[in-house]
Amino acid sequence: MLDLVWLIPLLPLVGAAAGLLLGRRLGKAAGWLATGLVGLGFVLAVATLLDLLGLPADQRVHVADLFDWISVGTFSVDVALRVDPLSITMTLVVTGVGALIHLYAIGYMDRDPRFGTFFAYLNLFVFFMLMLVLADNYLLLYVGWEGVGLCSYLLIGFWFERPSASSAAKKAFVTTRIGDAAMLLGIVLIWLHVGSLDFGAVFGRGASELTEGTATAIALLLLAGAIGKSAQLPLHVWLPDAMEGPTPVSALIHAATMVTAGVYLVVRSHVLFELSGTALTVVLVVGLVSALYAALASIGQFDLKRALAYSTMSQIGFMFFATGMRFYTGAMLLLVCHAFYKALLFLTAGNVLHGLHDETDMRRMGGLRADMPLSAAWFTIGALSLAGIPPLAGFFAKDQIVGFAATSGREVAWVLASLGAFLSALYIARPLFLTFFGRRRGEEHAHEAPAPMQAPLAVLAFLTVVGGLILGLTAEGGRLARFLEPVVGAVEDGEAALSDAALISISIVLAVAAVAVAFWVWASGRVDWEAFPQRQPELAGWLANAFYLNTLYAWLVQVPGKAFGRALTVVDDRVIDGVVNEFAEDVVEASGVAPRIQRGYVRSYALAFLLGAVALLLFLGLRA
Amino acid sequence: MSTPIAYFVAVSAMLFAIGTVGVLIRKNALVIFMSVELQLNAVNLTLVAFSRMHGNLSGQVLAFFSMVVAAAEVVVGLAIIVTVYRRRRSASVDDLTVLRG
Repeated sequence: MLDLVWLIPLLPLVGAAAGLLLGRRLGKAAGWLATGLVGLGFVLAVATLLDLLGLPADQRVHVADLFDWISVGTFSVDVALRVDPLSITMTLVVTGVGALIHLYAIGYMDRDPRFGTFFAYLNLFVFFMLMLVLADNYLLLYVGWEGVGLCSYLLIGFWFERPSASSAAKKAFVTTRIGDAAMLLGIVLIWLHVGSLDFGAVFGRGASELTEGTATAIALLLLAGAIGKSAQLPLHVWLPDAMEGPTPVSALIHAATMVTAGVYLVVRSHVLFELSGTALTVVLVVGLVSALYAALASIGQFDLKRALAYSTMSQIGFMFFATGMRFYTGAMLLLVCHAFYKALLFLTAGNVLHGLHDETDMRRMGGLRADMPLSAAWFTIGALSLAGIPPLAGFFAKDQIVGFAATSGREVAWVLASLGAFLSALYIARPLFLTFFGRRRGEEHAHEAPAPMQAPLAVLAFLTVVGGLILGLTAEGGRLARFLEPVVGAVEDGEAALSDAALISISIVLAVAAVAVAFWVWASGRVDWEAFPQRQPELAGWLANAFYLNTLYAWLVQVPGKAFGRALTVVDDRVIDGVVNEFAEDVVEASGVAPRIQRGYVRSYALAFLLGAVALLLFLGLRA
Repeated sequence: MSTPIAYFVAVSAMLFAIGTVGVLIRKNALVIFMSVELQLNAVNLTLVAFSRMHGNLSGQVLAFFSMVVAAAEVVVGLAIIVTVYRRRRSASVDDLTVLRG
């Protein structure tokens, strides 16, 4: 199976081609075909995993070299897929969670006139995402990287009839492209200094040849790409707007898989980041600041999906934070668990939107658990997991990361991360209570989603409940940590001033306290939270507008950009058009004279011809 | 003892001049056409004459080429003149002044 790993990305590619070419003729079958292919990919990925587990731990790397791709002079790149614990973990998440979301989307997109196209795009996304995680060199990874960006654009703008959707799609594309350009420069730097883009060569031979300065430059450039794709500060502005896309897209691309590609990239390139201590510190700071920033912004949102989008950004911040501390297995554990419960949360939000005819404002929801008991249960499981209530998956992942900050002797980071954990619990309990509990604020009756949409949610909820217990019981000894050890190294042991039991207790107390506070404010009916924006317009404005960074960027980019554009228009109108228009007028004037030469008599033409020939001969003769 | 080259050139020049004047002063398209042929053949004559003088066959071969081209051109040219005559009942080039500016 290890050599047949190329089948896994090929299946969704076939699905995408079929969907795009025969989308209309396939009808509803397009959805089942797409789901089936990704599901089959998951089965193959499990088979690959079993093969990999059959090998001794230190030999669990297999490179399936498919064909020469580019070979120019000394530059050569193969299309080669790398199967190792890290890539197979990502593959399982992409195909597994991906298949569930595909299944959900069959119900969700049921009435859409472009049903087949939607699934073709989804499959294309899965293909590129698999290329991204399975690539054995940076160039192939970059192809996948740009491919998922394209699919993200197509799917955010899937309902392009809405101007907000099409501009959100453009915003996502352009913003991530800023990071991607830097990342491409990083890849070029790698090639210049190492002479190869293969992971094996770069992390083995190359790592010993790089100076610290070069490694820092490469790592920071790659990080810029990761920041753009993973919506971290300062390139995060596209993610909340990306919620304009259909909800399954938000779940698959903008929560579970694509946005975590940045984390994958940093973990994959950890050798380069470790060569440069600076880059790791930057990762840590970016992650922590993004986590806190997005947590605060999420609390200010009244749009259900935007609140979840900021929570995704905050969670990915935690992943970056863990990566920056060299706690790669922790970052990956959070990535996997987050994929489970965030997909669950988003799809449940999809149920709510479905039931309320696309109402997204939480101020007009409330008390929905009466109408949608199953969805309420799913959302509760997902939210409590994210909040860090044991024994749900999110508890293990987040607690280990926060705890690691303490055991690795980063006290300030630990305090801030604990604050972030508290805020996380607060910001996710808030939509839970606003949507499903408390007083009913909307008039509309909500209808529960049908069974085909509930089935994938049940699976995700199950994974959310058991995922942490199975994969990551402890930071050093969890199954995932042990599995990833050959790729990213063992978790460093450390001693904290507080005992492990104390750290875990603090973590649990914070989470429970946050949920309790959230209940008191948003569900008990004793706090008039709806009046908060009137009483504290300043603070509410800062939170709701995510600290006005969008406005700031508008000032920094749009205003000078528009001014520059206007200046260019003047140049275009006056100078370029002016020259052409003036010239055209001269030609028109001259053409008033020219026709008089055209007498229409053959003999006058012949005479002119003769005189010309004679003149030419004379000229040539006199010159000779 | 061969004829001096100057005679050939002189005959050729005379033929060419007659042809040129014919093109310039005649009105009938057919006659103009014949004058053009006269010019062409004047040039052919110089080609053959110089070719003989230099003992090089290229000139004579080129003369054949120009005859073939002239023949092809006559086919097209006559066809045009006949068509114009059918439409206008006249072959006078002075009537064909549609292109006057």
